Amino acid sequence: MSEPVRQTITVKNENGLHLVPCSLITRAATGFACQVEIHSATRKADAKNIFDLMGLGAACGTELTLIANGDGAADAIQKLVELFESGLEASSRRPNS
Amino acid sequence: MKTKSGIPVSPGVAIGPAMLFGARGFRIPQRFVSVDAVESEIGRFRGALHKVAQAIEENQHVASQRLGEEYAAIFGAHLLMVRDPKLLGEIETLIRSKCFSPEFAASRVFRNYAKAFQNLGNAYLAERATDVFDLEKRVLHALLGEDRPELTHLTESVVILAHNLTPSETAGLDREKVLGFATEVGGRTSHTAILAGALELPAVVGVGGFLADVSAGDIVIIDGYRGEIIIDPDEETLSRYKLVLEQYKSDKQRLAKLTSAEAITTDSVRIQVLGNIEFPQEVEHCMERGADGIGLYRTEFLYLGTNQIPSEEDHYEAYCKVVKACGNHPVVIRTLDLGSDKVPANETEFVSSCDNPALGLRSIRLSLNNLPLFKVQLRAILRAAVYGDVRIMFPLITSLLELRKAKMVLNDVMDDLDEAGIPFKRDVRVGMMVEVPAAALLADQFAPEVDFFSIGTNDLIQYTLAVDRADPSVANLYWAGDPSILRLIRMVVDAGRTHGIPVTVCGQMSSEPRFIPLLVGLGLRHLSVTPIAIPEVKDLIRHLSSSQSEEIARHALTLDIARDVENYLRGEVDRIYPDGSIAE
Repeated sequence: MSEPVRQTITVKNENGLHLVPCSLITRAATGFACQVEIHSATRKADAKNIFDLMGLGAACGTELTLIANGDGAADAIQKLVELFESGLEASSRRPNS
Repeated sequence: MKTKSGIPVSPGVAIGPAMLFGARGFRIPQRFVSVDAVESEIGRFRGALHKVAQAIEENQHVASQRLGEEYAAIFGAHLLMVRDPKLLGEIETLIRSKCFSPEFAASRVFRNYAKAFQNLGNAYLAERATDVFDLEKRVLHALLGEDRPELTHLTESVVILAHNLTPSETAGLDREKVLGFATEVGGRTSHTAILAGALELPAVVGVGGFLADVSAGDIVIIDGYRGEIIIDPDEETLSRYKLVLEQYKSDKQRLAKLTSAEAITTDSVRIQVLGNIEFPQEVEHCMERGADGIGLYRTEFLYLGTNQIPSEEDHYEAYCKVVKACGNHPVVIRTLDLGSDKVPANETEFVSSCDNPALGLRSIRLSLNNLPLFKVQLRAILRAAVYGDVRIMFPLITSLLELRKAKMVLNDVMDDLDEAGIPFKRDVRVGMMVEVPAAALLADQFAPEVDFFSIGTNDLIQYTLAVDRADPSVANLYWAGDPSILRLIRMVVDAGRTHGIPVTVCGQMSSEPRFIPLLVGLGLRHLSVTPIAIPEVKDLIRHLSSSQSEEIARHALTLDIARDVENYLRGEVDRIYPDGSIAE
């Protein structure tokens, strides 16, 4: 068994980890076989569970630690870090009409 | 038969079968199921969830087509929630181990999550609890089947009885099918009440607990005049109310025929009858009744409806809707009149909290104290003005300095727009409300500096007579017909005439038939009234002559007691317009 991969990030988006950001994280994490957890100073959440993530109540500026354990752990962390860096908002592309 | 009393918030009578909505819109029929039903109940629960997920996918698709991906993403998140294995596991465990009904189990689990979100200590995240409640509603709806249709898709006429209706639910009510409503909670100034008035649905709120006494389908009468609801009425009561309803309908029909007729006196003086509105959708109510335009567009609802301060685009969109719906007719947009009785929950920091808010930081004072807030609104008005005949009106102007300041800010905003190359209309007409006695007394000094006056009688009376009408212990001292009020109105009209600017009356007074001959006689040619009163005011004007009105005004001005003035005016109107029956 390999070592868990860890990475610390800061929540950048204005309204914190609300519904849509959490859904993006959940979707991304679900794509990996490994276990992914997100820890705040006081709580931890299963990144594959949207309710858990919402329960972190992470506002803008909160420091979080991503911990992945198992197959593809390093890739999972990389993907999630990219998501956090990109601001975790759905594309604001307007429909063509 | 049972009668319950509440607060009447929208006049009219509704009679029909009851449709019930409990605290969250649903009543859970049973809490437990028998042990051998557990597996089939779990099957029912999974089927319901599947339906919910399908409906959300549909919403997601529509949202992405019509609104954009960022809106569709909200439904994407909802979808993840209803498919969350942990959530489903918790609900199914409750059904299996405790024999809870799926409705009860789902409701409990969803509410636990909602509560956890509410306790996060972050306002924005706590708001997400609403999303969870929404899901709970959807799941219960799917479980309870098709006999609980959405408020927006009713198949037969009903009277809605609810614990509470949210403003958005109220706004979404199908006016064709919903005859009226009553709620257990709510007050006169709740958004639900305001919307009921705008939708013209008979409504009673704040009845207290009564849902336990009614069953779905019971015949219920809503008396929006007296604030009563009558459950399962006896024959006599029912036939009495049916008569009231018939009378109400026939009056409405008679007046509806007059919509195309101009408001013109028997001696050919044309009176402009305009509408007072609060919401963009009310423009339709005015236009279908033959209004000559919008004489007062109150913009406070933009601030009261949400938890966020409206953006320039929010203002702009609302104004454009109104302006476009009005075509070539004028639209007078009153700038923010917040404060006093109208304070949004999250903006208390803007408003003075002293003991005497009517004399505190409100209205134009608030705007001049919060220039960024004020400028956002002015920018939106100027931009929307491109599409029609928009006029700007400043409320509660008390001194010339205040008026000049407001106009200076308006000029600054024009320069900003000009510099940024944003299209707007520069030559909009700018007017002021005359609702502070100081402004009425100095009307001749204000007149050269504005394009129009609009007399706000509600505040003018409150400030002149020093009476708060909402205070029951002094409400009997509030008289629109007080000689002092008549004299102030005359001063304003005279100043307008001397300086060649139009004067409108837009307070409650102009919606009451007994004051119409007086106002016309004092020289007013513009009346802005509540939409429902438009047909009657026009009809009454068609029965009047201006010379007779002048005679009435002259006599009224000689009377020295408010009660005598009002009795005299009521007698005159009864003589001139004996058919008048709706409002009095």
